[in-house]
Amino acid sequence: MTIEYSRDDQRTKETVSPSNPLPVRDMGRFVDMLLIATTNLFPTGERDLLGLTNPDLPTLDGCGQYRKLIWFYFRERSSTTSYTIQARATDHNGAPLATGWLTIASGTLPGASDPNASYWGRLEIPATGDAYYDQYRIVVNRTGDPGYQLISKIVGVR
Amino acid sequence: MPPKVCLITRNLTSLHKAWTQVLRHLGIDYTICVATSGSANATIQTPQGAFAATSADLQGYFRQFDAVILCDHAVTLSATAVINYSVYWLSWNAPEDPPFLLFNPHFSTAITESAYNSNFPSDFPIVRPNPSNLGGTLYAADGGSPSSGTPLWANYFEARGACVQFVTENIRAHVMTVCNAHGVNPFSNVVPYFWRLNTTQHNTLSNTPYTHRVARNGRAGEILAVPAPPTNPEDTETYGADCVVAYRYKNIFWLPHTLASMPFTISFWNFHRSDTLAPMLFWLLYGLQVAGVRPRYKLPVQIETDHPIESTDNTPPFDFTLKQQMEVLLAKFDYMRDFARRRNTAIINGVRVGGKTRLPTARHFHWVMMYGTNVPADARAVAQQVNEILVAGHKEGTLPCGIHDHSIGTGAGYWTMNVHANFRRHSGMRYGTPNNIPIARGRCCVAPHVLPAGVAPPDALTVRIGDTELVEWDHTMSGTGDTFNLPMGNIHAARVIIESEIEEMLALGFPDGYCAGHKYTNTAGNNSGGECYWQALKEFGFRGVRSGSACNVPLSIKRTTPNRLWHGFHLLTDRGFDLAAPDVVYARGLYYPGSPADGDAVRFWRLDHGNDISTNWSTDSTAAWRAYRRTVCQFIGHWLYTTVALLGAFYFHPINGAMIVSLSDPNARFDGWSIPNAILQPHYNHAVELLENMDAVVRLLPDVLYWGTITDVMDHRERVMG
Repeated sequence: MTIEYSRDDQRTKETVSPSNPLPVRDMGRFVDMLLIATTNLFPTGERDLLGLTNPDLPTLDGCGQYRKLIWFYFRERSSTTSYTIQARATDHNGAPLATGWLTIASGTLPGASDPNASYWGRLEIPATGDAYYDQYRIVVNRTGDPGYQLISKIVGVR
Repeated sequence: MPPKVCLITRNLTSLHKAWTQVLRHLGIDYTICVATSGSANATIQTPQGAFAATSADLQGYFRQFDAVILCDHAVTLSATAVINYSVYWLSWNAPEDPPFLLFNPHFSTAITESAYNSNFPSDFPIVRPNPSNLGGTLYAADGGSPSSGTPLWANYFEARGACVQFVTENIRAHVMTVCNAHGVNPFSNVVPYFWRLNTTQHNTLSNTPYTHRVARNGRAGEILAVPAPPTNPEDTETYGADCVVAYRYKNIFWLPHTLASMPFTISFWNFHRSDTLAPMLFWLLYGLQVAGVRPRYKLPVQIETDHPIESTDNTPPFDFTLKQQMEVLLAKFDYMRDFARRRNTAIINGVRVGGKTRLPTARHFHWVMMYGTNVPADARAVAQQVNEILVAGHKEGTLPCGIHDHSIGTGAGYWTMNVHANFRRHSGMRYGTPNNIPIARGRCCVAPHVLPAGVAPPDALTVRIGDTELVEWDHTMSGTGDTFNLPMGNIHAARVIIESEIEEMLALGFPDGYCAGHKYTNTAGNNSGGECYWQALKEFGFRGVRSGSACNVPLSIKRTTPNRLWHGFHLLTDRGFDLAAPDVVYARGLYYPGSPADGDAVRFWRLDHGNDISTNWSTDSTAAWRAYRRTVCQFIGHWLYTTVALLGAFYFHPINGAMIVSLSDPNARFDGWSIPNAILQPHYNHAVELLENMDAVVRLLPDVLYWGTITDVMDHRERVMG
């Protein structure tokens, strides 16, 4: 069929069909890639996904535009590992409103029952509702054996 | 007025996507109308309403178009209703009526519908096929042997050949030609046919004045094309004087088969499947031209070679020395350079780099054939002459050369392994020895806008891939040596690999590694490697590369984007045509009795219909001509499809057919057994035949095709895909 529509302030006619639909403009991506990291979990002890142990340093900053973060990960082993996701808001200069963090999720990082098995995982941050926090600290701590590399990808959803 | 055609089909779900794809690429607007059945009583559903097939409303509706195209075709001559509704249109012959294009039309005497038979024009000059009297109403074509399936479904393999004489243009061209097809079973052992002319009716029509813009001769009837008479008495495959393959009856064009209706051909995803390839597109292009549909755009025809200099092992009786192999390549590239000059095209060549740094004794590499101490001096001397032709051709624009690296990964190119063990890099430049460079993505990679202050160390790098930017640190480094294990799936690996390839091109005498102003190359194994390689290629100045859809085989964890235009970077669909399969190393001939499986064109492209080549090869000289005809038709079909439907890149390997040419006259055209090659079989030069046969097609279709360059292809992709 023929459809008339506006394009750059001009009225345009197009003959459309299932194989020739109206052209659409890419209005931008709604998901941004924020982080790709390989975290060395052969050592034990708390560290964030970037391997940092300083408890006041965020893993990600400037995230106020994101409704949600999606954390994809691949575990080379499924050894028992705890995780803690902390978040906080900043002022207009980007300074945290106060020291410390709000823990928004924690638990055992999902993995296979066999500690020697590899495992793909996905976690939503937060699990329900919207986030819009400015800073996140994502901490992992291997407590079981054996050690392994945790490979993570985090995307921000606007 | 922009060109506009009307497509008529009965079933949208089996309408081949190439109908609309080709028209879009040509800049021809189209409207699709759906017939409610194949009967003469069908209603034609148009955007302006549903009209009876015989109605004046429909006739008036059609008059807005430059042509009306019937997309449905005969499958078996015993069918009773395929396009019976079109019978009325055969009498819509006024100057205001559009031309009608019918491809492989179903008009056999098996049609029982009285409305069809009573309205079929009594002066129609082509004998209606009778499935009970095939020999009396048709000519069995191309040797008359049956295809194993149906020739209408021939896509990747199994071409049926015809050398066609185009009467008015006075041009002979090899194009796959099946006017109608028939078998007891419509899908197996089906024979292709040409039509018989009713010469009395034709004589009357050809003397009857007729005024319509498509009547070039001012007459009501015109023979457009017939089987071309043989050029050599060895070829005894001839047809009667009343045999015809294309005809204009008033404003009605009766044309051979072009696009098969199949259920999965409409799907975009299936479009790259080899079994949706449509090698008979010539007749659509020809039909549009003779119907006077003037496309907004002509389409550029170009060709590429992979490995302009390489050598190959060969076995008796093909005992070509390395020097002889280089001499054949020298002759081929001398010819190709001259052809490109004459036709104003640019023949792209993917230089097999990697021999200088990584595989210095491998004789199938360009550098090694020129400089390897394990290559005889006489062969090296000829290889260097070939290189001189390539460098000169590169600089003048006739033979642009680019990187093409089989020395990395599994040998199949970019990112074909997770880790290339003991990778050897070049020296100097930015990523060469002794620079200590990152060779894998950083352990930490964070988008700059969410990177906390103070986290990234001072030596962190910012890496951009497409529209993603990440700050990386804690990289695996190369050290200062020239050998290390290289993880291949990252931009740092891509950079060091590509720079080493360009370094070799410069050392070979080329001013660049990306085909000069075309900023393009054809990738080894058609593996473009994925986003990191595309980004790195962009950084080195490339505009596009040839790429398979699965672009890192055999690792096989990538697919290129469906539209193959990634952030302005072109990924051109590959389509290759050699005479033999890669695993048999070299072609033994069009056909050679002692060939291994897939070792000659007839075996590899499955052209031995009914064994009518293999059983007669040594006793009937016609068999060689049959093999030639089918081979040429097959590659013309593939090349045209690549050009007009895929806007892709068609290529061949010059060394593949090197052992079957005459050493005394390497650039001679095929002439059956009259010109023997080194083992006293028919001489055949693939480079010459590709270009000369396509040249005939380009000359036939000046409104649609022109000899162009890969830049023209990429420009046009941006025009119609952007």
